[in-house]
Amino acid sequence: MPPPKPHARFIFQDPWGHRWPRFRRHVILIGVLVFLSLVVFIQSLLLRPELALPKSVRHLKGQLSAFKNPLPPPLPTQGFKHFFQTHSTIKPVPHMPLRPTQEIRAGFYVKSNPYSILSLEKHASKLTHVCTDWMSVVDGNGRLVFDRDSAVIDLTQRNKLALFPTLNNLLDDAWQPEAIESLATGPQLRRDQFFAQVLHELDDVGASGLILDWENLDPTYQDEVTQLITQLADAVHGKNREIWLTVSVGDDAKVFDLDTLSGVVDHFVAALSDQDSETDEPGPVAGQDWVENCLEELSGFGAPGQWIAALGNYGYDWAAGEKTAETITFAEAMSRASYSGIDTVKLEPPLYNPTFSYYEGPVAHTVWFLDGTTFLNQLQVVRKMKWGGFAINSIGSEDPAIWSVIGFPATPQSSDLATMNRLPASDTVTNVGRGEIVSVDQSKEPGQRTVTADADGHFGSVYNDFPTFPTLYHQGGSDPKMVSLTFDDGPDPRWTPKILDILKERGLKATFFLVGSRAEKYPSLVRRILDEGHNLGNHTYTHANLGLISEAQIRLELNATQRLIESITGYSTTLFRPPYTADSQPSSTAELVPLAIAEDLNYLIVLENIDPEDWARPGAGQIVDRVRQNRHLGNIVLLHDAGGDRSQTVDALPAIIDYLLQRGDKIVPLEALLSMSHADLMPKVLGDKQGFSRIVSSLGFDILRFAANFLWAFMIVATVLVGLRTLVVAFLATRHRPNIPPGSVNFHPPVTVIIAAYNEEKVIAATLQSVLDTDYPGTVEILVVNDGSKDATSDVVRRMLVAEPRIRLIEQPNSGKSVALQNGVAAAVSEIIIFLDADTHFEPGTIRHLVIPLADEEVGAVSGHAKVGNLRSFIARCQALEYICGFNLDRRAYAGLDCITVAPGAISAFRKSVIEEVGGISTDTLAEDTDLTLALHRSSWKVDYAPGAIAWTEAPETFRTLAKQRFRWAFGTLQCLWKHRDLVFNPRFRALGLFALPSVWFFQILLVAITPLVDLYLLISLYFGNAEVVLPYMLVFLLTDFILAVVACWMERESLWKAWIVLPMRFIYRPLFSWVIWKSIFQALRGVIIGWGKLERTASVTMHRPTIP
Amino acid sequence: MKKFLFVLLALGAGCRPESNVTPMKPSVPQTLAVPATGAYTGAYMDFGDNEDDVTLDKIDSFEKLVGKHQAIVASSSYWGEQNFPTSNIQIIVRHQSIPLIFWSPWDKPYDQEIIAKKGPDRFNLNAINEGKWDAYIDDWGDAAKAIGSPMLVSFGNEMNGNWFPWSGSFYGGKTPVPGSTPHANPTPIPGYHVPMKTPDFPPVGPDVYKRAFRHVVDRVRARGARNVLWVFHANNYAEPNDLWNVMAQYYPGSDYVDWLALSVYGEQFKGVDAFADFPPLFDWPVTEIHALDPSKPVMLAEWGVGEFPKEGNKAHWIGDAFLTMRQKPFVKAAVFWHERWQNADDSYSNLHVNSTPEALEAYRKGVADKYWLDRPILRAAH
Repeated sequence: MPPPKPHARFIFQDPWGHRWPRFRRHVILIGVLVFLSLVVFIQSLLLRPELALPKSVRHLKGQLSAFKNPLPPPLPTQGFKHFFQTHSTIKPVPHMPLRPTQEIRAGFYVKSNPYSILSLEKHASKLTHVCTDWMSVVDGNGRLVFDRDSAVIDLTQRNKLALFPTLNNLLDDAWQPEAIESLATGPQLRRDQFFAQVLHELDDVGASGLILDWENLDPTYQDEVTQLITQLADAVHGKNREIWLTVSVGDDAKVFDLDTLSGVVDHFVAALSDQDSETDEPGPVAGQDWVENCLEELSGFGAPGQWIAALGNYGYDWAAGEKTAETITFAEAMSRASYSGIDTVKLEPPLYNPTFSYYEGPVAHTVWFLDGTTFLNQLQVVRKMKWGGFAINSIGSEDPAIWSVIGFPATPQSSDLATMNRLPASDTVTNVGRGEIVSVDQSKEPGQRTVTADADGHFGSVYNDFPTFPTLYHQGGSDPKMVSLTFDDGPDPRWTPKILDILKERGLKATFFLVGSRAEKYPSLVRRILDEGHNLGNHTYTHANLGLISEAQIRLELNATQRLIESITGYSTTLFRPPYTADSQPSSTAELVPLAIAEDLNYLIVLENIDPEDWARPGAGQIVDRVRQNRHLGNIVLLHDAGGDRSQTVDALPAIIDYLLQRGDKIVPLEALLSMSHADLMPKVLGDKQGFSRIVSSLGFDILRFAANFLWAFMIVATVLVGLRTLVVAFLATRHRPNIPPGSVNFHPPVTVIIAAYNEEKVIAATLQSVLDTDYPGTVEILVVNDGSKDATSDVVRRMLVAEPRIRLIEQPNSGKSVALQNGVAAAVSEIIIFLDADTHFEPGTIRHLVIPLADEEVGAVSGHAKVGNLRSFIARCQALEYICGFNLDRRAYAGLDCITVAPGAISAFRKSVIEEVGGISTDTLAEDTDLTLALHRSSWKVDYAPGAIAWTEAPETFRTLAKQRFRWAFGTLQCLWKHRDLVFNPRFRALGLFALPSVWFFQILLVAITPLVDLYLLISLYFGNAEVVLPYMLVFLLTDFILAVVACWMERESLWKAWIVLPMRFIYRPLFSWVIWKSIFQALRGVIIGWGKLERTASVTMHRPTIP
Repeated sequence: MKKFLFVLLALGAGCRPESNVTPMKPSVPQTLAVPATGAYTGAYMDFGDNEDDVTLDKIDSFEKLVGKHQAIVASSSYWGEQNFPTSNIQIIVRHQSIPLIFWSPWDKPYDQEIIAKKGPDRFNLNAINEGKWDAYIDDWGDAAKAIGSPMLVSFGNEMNGNWFPWSGSFYGGKTPVPGSTPHANPTPIPGYHVPMKTPDFPPVGPDVYKRAFRHVVDRVRARGARNVLWVFHANNYAEPNDLWNVMAQYYPGSDYVDWLALSVYGEQFKGVDAFADFPPLFDWPVTEIHALDPSKPVMLAEWGVGEFPKEGNKAHWIGDAFLTMRQKPFVKAAVFWHERWQNADDSYSNLHVNSTPEALEAYRKGVADKYWLDRPILRAAH
């Protein structure tokens, strides 16, 4: 036995231990610096940017103020006008209602008020009827328009309430008297068709009856209208349903012949409000004296029980200079009083109607409203006069106190009245002002009033303290001719420039609400938008739904985008629009929270009422039509310049502009809506303000951008290279034909099979038997080197060698696999040496196939074909596929170019003389087989591959053992690559130096090491909604893998079905490989030999390593 | 113009900064051609109490109703507003229609009852003739010039009635012009078959009007507003129907007039007029105004009728009107008055084209004929 070669220093070993501490010092230093930078960067994002916008312009508080002069005295009630025709002499018998017994308690549902359904849901038990507002007759042909609300239909059914749809003659808020008049005067056929439509609709919604609310009719047609109602009533009664007729008090009532109609309809609904309507001068909405007069007069028609009093519970706010008052809810009246600092409001005789006046900036407002006390006063009279019931006009705008008033006894006690005194605050959102630019005040305070019984039986009240509700202060809607264009979700390199070109051509300025993550990608577009005079707005960093994320996240979203815009342009933006807002009327406090945060960060919140929903791609023509239809709703148009195919938006934009200009609009930037300047909305970033954090955030964004660009470029290059390599390998592998040298048929030299064994008692016998069963014609010697096993390995071998002279056993003290192999080689008697792992089994023909290439004198070594024999676990099956398509396919491809990087220790053949020539088996790496193979290449020996020389090896069956195995391989590979680094790109070594080794460096080390960074970036990209870019990239990778697997399986005559496993395998192997590579790199840097011994011994235990290709 | 019997709300609307986009000005000045055959169709559509709330939405929905683009869109410019309706005109011009502006010298609250009691207001014709409003007229002329494209202006319409403050009745009526001498041979009044002679003395009321008309036209022309086409716009029948009050007495002369125009209304108020057929409302007056200067085109600057199903058939009236107007080939335009208003007795006057489906259908059918031109024809101005 020749003495072992002097022990070379282990590759990467650092006997003096300097490298690691030095490295660690650097790492720690860099780490601390990176960490600190990151902290400063994040801090710069979280730091609230100082937006310099004059507070007074924007906030509700301070905008409203009470009149300094005492209120003008209430207007004297106009002399009561007798507005009905005189009674006819013959009194018809009033129609007997179908259900006359209990008091009718109806509620007017208003579809456009989100609180209507909420209140209805809450108070359904206190009502008997629900009257809806979704059916209109709109033209002289009796065309009906429906806009049903299934939520209310469902609610009435659940609560067993009678559903009474109102049939009005409104089209887009304008009365259409011609519709009714033409029905009344037109041919019978037209009427019959109209009746059929109405009945059908009543059937469809399961209505119990119908209410007619027909206004603006010409009293000239009284006879015809009476006849029309009579016919309709007959038709409705024929279906066992009721018909009610709304009678407005005033001129509108003259068209109805109440004497006659009292014998026709089941109930009259007296509209006992709008004494002064929204188109009148300011005045009481329903003064108590007026209501009582109305009740008295109306009672003269039909029976009192036939009448239902529609009692108002809402208000009007008249702004000086406006034609039409704003209809407001009770809560809004309270909010306005509270914010404007009104001291007190009293309900006093004779009107008993509350009123106050305030200023919004310079504009004087007068509010008249109705509340719980007016309701109580009116209801008292209604009940006293034995009317059939009442209707609340309207549900959702009422003073909540009315719900207890309904249940008051005939003579309310002071304890009853006391329940009305507290004015609770609720989550009801109230609105002040006009326009789509809003600020938010979330404050919520209860108020207090005192309701008292007056001597004459009426009830007075005094508001001492007004409740405050969460309030949106609207601005920017003062000039209906102004309109502003806004574009969300950009920038987008494809669509934004097109939109900018159109705007430039038309000389128009718009506002672009940017998504930070996109702005970060296209900074030049951001600069272009600003350079061309448009505004930039903040639309969050990731287009996040602010309702679903935490407050800290909202702040980060806003600040990051702000910092980004500042770093790109040098300007800040004061404009913010929350993603996913539908309109400018948020109705829940949950919707207010993100707005309040934006408000706190000093943003102006820009909502939109003209929303053609271009993102849904309804067609360019439809987008223009929707702008036409919705133009009257507001001043801000919402379009999108990103987030998908925006060609329709681009097509529609010129037509939208044309339309707006044609209708005489001024298309203005947002600042014009607020009478502010561009610089107010987009102030220049000042160097002295928060300069440091600005620089940091700007630098941070630059680095991020650079890193992102680098990663993208890297991914693209890597993808291309992986694809190329795949093609090359697949091409070469398919062209590979086993090398059968001439004369190899009779080439059967003696061989020595060397098995290094450490603690292999369980497997060694079967391994030996598989070798003994060989059909190799030549002499076979089996040399087992027992590396000081602590188990019965030695005994097992001894038992076998008694009966089998071909087996030889060498004992050595435990000193590692390399040493064992060295000893084996030294002791071998044959020139041809075959290495075999102790747990790997030969087939009978394995040795024969393995030896054939050695007939060629130039071949120094032959790699066998290892396959996974244990397919019990998923991990093992993965490896089986990996062996098929990774190692063996590569080896086929590389064999032709003579650049096989490893003849594996599990199954390979070498010439003994060659091993000795290249210096024997080294002990300075964990991968002695790779090291030996590369050494052969150095000495210009060929290394061939024998696909027929199959050896069945046992793969690790658990993730843990696999990880250990792969770590050893990875570290060994790294050692060999380092040791033989001079081969790389050395033309002398042809394919090995130019292709095989660089491939290992790039694909197995560098790419695998960077993978986690790429994956992290991809995940972040996905979070930022860049799926459309990331997914194709992933698909290309998976597809490449899959194709390669299919090719490999086909070549190995394996079932193609095995190939699918490559897809899940990626997700296990990717992190695993990254982990072992990084661990190897770290260990290499540490350079510590401590622990190797143990690892090495472990290595010799599981000897089923088929090696790295 | 409809006769006001209801209270108008006086609503101030100050001058507003004008649109940021100026209409395209052709390099060669253009004017409205008189079509060789056929006549322009146009309308006034419910433009509000001051007749100046012009919106594209209203124009669009009217055109949708009648199924035809409007060559002419009519609206008013009341002197009490002290403005020029630039944005209205721009809307109309951009819509590719010709604006017809009723330029009416009266003040808020534009209430005929007050006029009847108190007489003309600060914009009375004497004040105009004395030059008190020259600055306003000049500004108006400048603004008209800035429009650039052709516009029809009817100053002081229906002057031969007695319901507007610019009628001769308010300025002395038939009283002789002070210092005038009797005509040696009273001239025949043009258009009258039986030669009727003018009164012996020129009546002062019409004379004041004529001078005001010329004064206004002269000043606007002096500002260079060559794009304005002046419309002499009388009611079909005079009120009072006296010789001193007929159209010819008011005619300011052919140098001052580009188009002759009439208001031709059927019944507007229940029971006030009988439901007269169209031909007698039209035939004689159109002959009378045509005779003022047969070389000038005639337009019906206002025509329409209320809906009184018990008294007459509006659909028939409208259909008849379309056919009758075609019998006078010199009638080159007809502007329909589309409005519904409430009267003092709470009844309504429904002049809407769609007061009934039948009326609407009659209008659609009548106007559909290609005789009725839906687009203005422009030619180079001389």
